[in-house]
Amino acid sequence: MSELPPPTATLPPPLPGQGGPPAPPAVLSGMIAVNAVSKFFGSVVAVSDVSFAVNDGVTALLGPNGAGKSTLFRMMCGLTPPSRGSVEVLGFDPRNDRDVRGRVSLVPQQDALLDHLSAASFLEFAARTHGVANPEQTAMQALATVDLADVGPKPVGQFSKGMRQRVKVAAALVNDPEVLILDEPLTGLDPVQRRHMIALFHRLGDEGRCVLVSSHVLDEVAKLGSRVLVIAQGRLVASGDYRDLRELMDDRAHRIRIGTSDPRRLATVLVDRGLVSGLSLDAHNVLVDTLDVDSLGRQLAAISIEIGVRLTEVSPLDDDLESVFRYLVEGR
Amino acid sequence: MTDVRPTSTVRSRHVAAGAAIGLTYRVVLRQLTSRGRIIGLSLLALIAPLSGWALGSANASLDDAVRLVASVGLGLVLPIVSLVFGGAALGDLREDKTLVYLWLRPMDRWPIVVGAALAAATLTAPITIISIVAAAVLTGAGHGIVAGALFATVIGLIAYVCVFTLFGVWLKRFIVWGLAYILIWEGFIAQAGAGVARVALRKYTRSILVDRTGVNLKLADFSLTTAVVVPLVVAVAALAIAAWRLSNQDID
Repeated sequence: MSELPPPTATLPPPLPGQGGPPAPPAVLSGMIAVNAVSKFFGSVVAVSDVSFAVNDGVTALLGPNGAGKSTLFRMMCGLTPPSRGSVEVLGFDPRNDRDVRGRVSLVPQQDALLDHLSAASFLEFAARTHGVANPEQTAMQALATVDLADVGPKPVGQFSKGMRQRVKVAAALVNDPEVLILDEPLTGLDPVQRRHMIALFHRLGDEGRCVLVSSHVLDEVAKLGSRVLVIAQGRLVASGDYRDLRELMDDRAHRIRIGTSDPRRLATVLVDRGLVSGLSLDAHNVLVDTLDVDSLGRQLAAISIEIGVRLTEVSPLDDDLESVFRYLVEGR
Repeated sequence: MTDVRPTSTVRSRHVAAGAAIGLTYRVVLRQLTSRGRIIGLSLLALIAPLSGWALGSANASLDDAVRLVASVGLGLVLPIVSLVFGGAALGDLREDKTLVYLWLRPMDRWPIVVGAALAAATLTAPITIISIVAAAVLTGAGHGIVAGALFATVIGLIAYVCVFTLFGVWLKRFIVWGLAYILIWEGFIAQAGAGVARVALRKYTRSILVDRTGVNLKLADFSLTTAVVVPLVVAVAALAIAAWRLSNQDID
């Protein structure tokens, strides 16, 4: 489909304290090109000076809730104009070019469907509003793609959250889009469907489509693909290969809570063996900071047996997305 | 899961205006057709024939009959029913965030607005026309008032539905603003003088009724031509503004 060069976004992400992402080139180009885009809602800055370009394949947009992901997606689809900067999709302005809307599909985050319609009717409606030549057949194909071929005439208003999510994804496929924008499409899906859906996104990307998927769940992004854009507080804080992001995260100090029958004794041994850089105690837990999470993980069980203490819990406290963003944005 | 790529024949294209109107009409019509809404508005519309019957039973004059049709039918039932359907035509889609399924398509905006207004008119017409014409018949004041009521209702329906479709596109609380327009502007402020009344649709429907019956009614002094043409121009302008607004507003 596309002969465009690979994404222009680059890694490494900005190291904490080094003043934000590298300056973007003057004008980026790609299947989706976002150039110096900002969006304000009154005095609220939803997106601030964001630039990136993406091409075919799957790219994940990672960010906590409220980071500006949906606003970015809405701008990419033309649903709202940028306050500053420009957005181009397939070389056109999605806000003002009528025909490019037929080459783009959006799976919106909100759970809104035409509830009185059956899944087949809803997809048929979607196909007709895209001017598709054979709407009935296309609707059935798309339903089969998301494993809903046998769902029958039940109105989508009676569907579970996961089924509604799959209907939305199917509706986004009826126009054979070149650009597919999916806003938190895995929400509400069970693990099996989630796996199927991720495989579907990869297949779509492998066919040469530009597939942009947002998520606020780090593990989902790991499965979605190697290319990531990380957005926090409306700013693009990192972009490039997911493995580099992961590496960056692994290089920092980690905080882990260890539940144990004898916190004081365990803490003494961990300090003696140089496995922790800091710790605190309470009646049932040791809270440790470590730079070498792998060594700690390898040795913890052996140490507990050696000194005769029981472990009740080992929980990372900073592997959540918020802490990753905090690290990328603030360096802590 | 099966093959994800639809056949090459399904490559999307621009949707023609007629098809876009038809698609919008069908989906909006179905969205608007709720049993509660239709029963509620039908009960409201019953006020007009019941009042007409009461007046007819008392052998009231043609003047009283025309005043009743003008105030209860054209001044209350017609605008309120038009507001509920016209405002909701795109307002409901905007509020429940399903408008994106029409907006993000390779179609022009004006067919969406026209299709929605036609759907609203389809539901408004039977309720208002039956109610107001029945009221005119039940007054027993002759054929002139029946023909006038029918003519005024049709012209008023077109204008009100289009204006309130614009309200639904533009305003978040379109019902509140619409009621304010009907009850405060048309029902109160526009009564204050002829100048202000020019921007009240009620004056035009009253003028049609007066022209057909020959009764002297306050604030109804437009010629038949003016009383017909102005509401139709307002209707077209409202749809044009609604289409422009739909193109330029943020969609959730």
